[in-house]
Amino acid sequence: MKTDVQLPAATDLKKPRPKKAPELPILERRNWLIHLHYIRKDYETCKAIIKEQLHETQGMCEYAVYVQALIMRLEGKIQQSLELFQSCAILNPKSSDNLKQVARSLFLLGKHKAAIEVYNEAARLNQKDWEISHNLGVCYIYTKDFRSAEEQLNLALQLNKHDLTYMMLGKIHLLQGDTEKAIDVYKSAVEYVSIHNLTFKHTCFILYTMLLGKYQKAFEHLGNALTYDPNNFKAILAAGSMMQTHGDYDVAMNKYRVAAYSVPESPPLWNNIGMCFFGKKKYVAAISCLKRANYLSPFDWKILYNLGLVHLTMQQYASAFHFLSAAINLRPRMSELYMLLAVALTNLDDADNARRSYEQAVQLDESNLLVNLNFAVFLYNQGDKKAALLQFQEMERKVNTQVDSNINTEFDPELVEMAQKLGAALQAGENLYWSKPGKDSKSSQRSSSSKPSSSQQPLGTNQALGQAMSSAAGYSKSISVHPNAPSIPPEPAADVSSAPSPPTVDPGEPEDEDEVEETAEPAKLKEKKSKPKAVAE
Amino acid sequence: MSSVSHELKDTSVASSKWLDAHYDPVANLYTFSSCIALSDLHGDGENKLVVGDLGTGVCNVKLKVYRGTGVLSESTLLDLPTGLVSFLMDLHEPRTPAIAVASGPFIYVYKNLRPYFKFTLPSLEVNPLEQDVWSQAKEDMIDPMTLKEMLEGLRDKAEIPLSVRSLRFLMLEPQEMENFVLLHKEQPIRRQTVITCIGMLKKNMADEDAVSCLVIGTENGDVYILDPEAFTILYKMSLPSSPTLMDVTGQFDVEFRITVACRNGNIYILRRDSPKPKYCIELSSHPVGLVRMGKNVVVGCTHETLHGYTQKGKKLWTAYLPAPVTAMALMDLPTRGFQAVLVGLANCEVHMYRDKNLISTIKTPDVVTSICFGRYGREDGTLIMTTKGGGLIVKILKRTAVFDDRDSAPGPPIAQSIRLNVPKKTKLYVDQTLRERENAVAMHRAFQMDLSRLRLAAARAYVKALESSLTPMSASLTEPLKMNAVVQGLGPSFKLTLNIQNTASCRPVMNLAISFLYDENLYSMRTAFFKIPLLVPGLNYPIDTFVECLSDKGISDIIKVFVLREGKSAPLLTAHINMPVSEGLALN
Repeated sequence: MKTDVQLPAATDLKKPRPKKAPELPILERRNWLIHLHYIRKDYETCKAIIKEQLHETQGMCEYAVYVQALIMRLEGKIQQSLELFQSCAILNPKSSDNLKQVARSLFLLGKHKAAIEVYNEAARLNQKDWEISHNLGVCYIYTKDFRSAEEQLNLALQLNKHDLTYMMLGKIHLLQGDTEKAIDVYKSAVEYVSIHNLTFKHTCFILYTMLLGKYQKAFEHLGNALTYDPNNFKAILAAGSMMQTHGDYDVAMNKYRVAAYSVPESPPLWNNIGMCFFGKKKYVAAISCLKRANYLSPFDWKILYNLGLVHLTMQQYASAFHFLSAAINLRPRMSELYMLLAVALTNLDDADNARRSYEQAVQLDESNLLVNLNFAVFLYNQGDKKAALLQFQEMERKVNTQVDSNINTEFDPELVEMAQKLGAALQAGENLYWSKPGKDSKSSQRSSSSKPSSSQQPLGTNQALGQAMSSAAGYSKSISVHPNAPSIPPEPAADVSSAPSPPTVDPGEPEDEDEVEETAEPAKLKEKKSKPKAVAE
Repeated sequence: MSSVSHELKDTSVASSKWLDAHYDPVANLYTFSSCIALSDLHGDGENKLVVGDLGTGVCNVKLKVYRGTGVLSESTLLDLPTGLVSFLMDLHEPRTPAIAVASGPFIYVYKNLRPYFKFTLPSLEVNPLEQDVWSQAKEDMIDPMTLKEMLEGLRDKAEIPLSVRSLRFLMLEPQEMENFVLLHKEQPIRRQTVITCIGMLKKNMADEDAVSCLVIGTENGDVYILDPEAFTILYKMSLPSSPTLMDVTGQFDVEFRITVACRNGNIYILRRDSPKPKYCIELSSHPVGLVRMGKNVVVGCTHETLHGYTQKGKKLWTAYLPAPVTAMALMDLPTRGFQAVLVGLANCEVHMYRDKNLISTIKTPDVVTSICFGRYGREDGTLIMTTKGGGLIVKILKRTAVFDDRDSAPGPPIAQSIRLNVPKKTKLYVDQTLRERENAVAMHRAFQMDLSRLRLAAARAYVKALESSLTPMSASLTEPLKMNAVVQGLGPSFKLTLNIQNTASCRPVMNLAISFLYDENLYSMRTAFFKIPLLVPGLNYPIDTFVECLSDKGISDIIKVFVLREGKSAPLLTAHINMPVSEGLALN
């Protein structure tokens, strides 16, 4: 009774009309406005509205905090955005979206394990979310847990067939070296993805056919992709490198001009342009372009390799030495680089180091005939017939295993010619694959007209790729050998090595274009791989 | 060259398609496409422009009506308008349309520019537990602190979110709680939501002047269809997320289709007889604009793309835009059978798309924030745009304007004819090349020789530094120390701070002393030699000392610092401090 009397009196003092409660503003009342500004990328206004709204609601408005965090993440303040997303998750623990964003921020901070945990938590709230499964898969890729990654990505595909998931799944298989499975993935991607997403379809198809070794088909599809989107940088680079393989330098240059207009600072592009000039014998321009590529990407061994090769051609052996040793420092386990270095050293009259470099090359090499052949020629010129014979036999062994396992039955004519001459000088090599009658005549015919024949080769098969590598090296070797010849007059080897020297310049041309392909190829593949990543951001 | 002239011609043709009827850069309009409508408000055959102006975003919120180039009327709105439609609500003559303005949880209906009706969204279900707690509070059975605890428990667990009143209560400081409870406890608890978008749907006839229902989307993901006369809810549907943009087609009594873009980045298609979405389009980025063209839906996304979808959610095409989308609208000219999508971009352009082909571009003086195309005054093809800076642009389509609907895929790209920028090489370069060719061996040998010498010299210097402890890092295993020195001050007195750290993992270092070596004519120090305490591993010991510069000639010298071990004459480490020039004059 007493309190009853007191209370109204107290309120009467403060509020004259206690019955009339003011209308309380709804917490979410400005969400639509925040969203409208956010999607229009008007972040300044958006932040002002958010600030006001958070002030009004004392930080309880979940959506305002959420958008604030999104904007912060866009501004690169990932740690702060993570904290805000976490407070969102506290305000509304039932929303899987908040958890997804927390995980995304963790992912961007490189905390893949923590991201996986949060994604798993989000997956418990929302079982059937394509995005969660896909991102979990991507996280697992970064933690190198490919099995779980594959599992999650397949789950994502069951929920919704998105292009990105296919690309990531294909990438996993490629990372694991499982080409068969990657082909299957790309095949199903080509089948399932809607016809309307042409660019993606083409990408898949190109990867698929390239993995199968059907370069001709891949090229056709590249052409289709280019008509659909003539300014697509990646497609241009890929198509251009294939044209280079064909020797269509002018057409390739046309394509590169388009690419250079849109992406003027791409190292692989300038590398390929440089090698185009090289193919057209414009060596100074080639060096200019390659040096620009090297300036743009100083730690790319492929560019250094090409620079070394071009300088060898220009007989600038001292410069070639520097580029090649730089390339070796970046990629110490590649036998071809040691071989080229040995060639440079031979020309710099440093026989001891050349020999050591050759030995390193032979030790690292697995299937390249050129390494052994060049070494054999070098040893022969040095007068070490015994060791030369050993290297020659090693080469024979490689030839035989390649022929037996049917990896490669077509050999580069110039290589064959050189091998035959050396074999004759060493009184060995009768049992070699190409020295058998019939084949022999064929190959010698070929070598006599080596320029047209090598450009008629089936373009861009896997074998051609391997060959390309070897023949390019062989080319440089043949340059390297003949200046040696006069310095060792009593040797009959002088005949062997000096004999092919007149034609070297000619057949050299079509071969180094293969080299171009070799170098352009990985560059392009790299582009491809980086593509899904870019979209995934 | 040719491409430039081609482009120039193109823009001049495009600009000549429109007459600039009116441009007011200071119209002071802050609005979006959803808050603009053209309507024959007085039934006199002359269309007015109705704009819901957000004012400053806080105050000055107004409903403005334009006629010709001037404002016809202004009426103040209580809260920011989210959307605005003009619709015919009955069959009475004269057929004047009403204006419905959605704002907060209300729809204000204006007739003849006078307030006519206020519709309030039905309140949402309130958590019964919350209701219980508050009724206990009302009976004074629990005190505010217990109330707070109970509500907090509810907030964390309950399926149904708390009402605004409870949330507000939880934000309060303890001393404010009692008053709040007293003030509000008598009111019934209500949980309300707000309208996020509004559209209209013909009731039962497809005619232009047929009676229309209002369709509204709310923050908590519901879509309501309201009866045009009684404002009762005819139909309710629900979405998984809050709707942001809406397009409605069909007739309520026959068949209709509502396409809704939601805040989660998906587009849902709702149809009659299903309270749940029929189809779903998952976009890769947020939709900014949604326009229906015939049977297809055109969506502009934040990733600078424009997508075309069928009404069943199948993707038809994608066009890439040069800048982010800011506004979208349909351009419909039924008399000429022409339809296109107008897309306002952040680069001050408005692009006109027909399917995925860009058919025309309009340059604007500012970034366009809202677009509306239709009949204004007595002119059918009028384009009305507002800009970010608050300007109002009115353009009239010329009757002679023709848009050729060509495929926008030209021949080879222009860039193909641009010369490659290959770096040139000088004569010097060529000479050097020739020199290298001739003297490669000599150059190589000279280089290798010099390289070896350089390495040798470097190694010698290093060894010497290690032997005489000239480095600021100690090389001895028993006293692994690190030191750096900082000089502060302008002079003549400087503060010298030496940071010494013991880098050993666990062993402390004792019995150390520091000594300074300097030119006594130039500098003076209070103590040029002192002992330093035991150094605990890992900690940084800053040791301060003061140096006085004696010279006023603006010269400076090096002060050498030695860290010594007791009983050993060779220092453990040495630091050379380059003293700055004293900038203050010596006082005496």
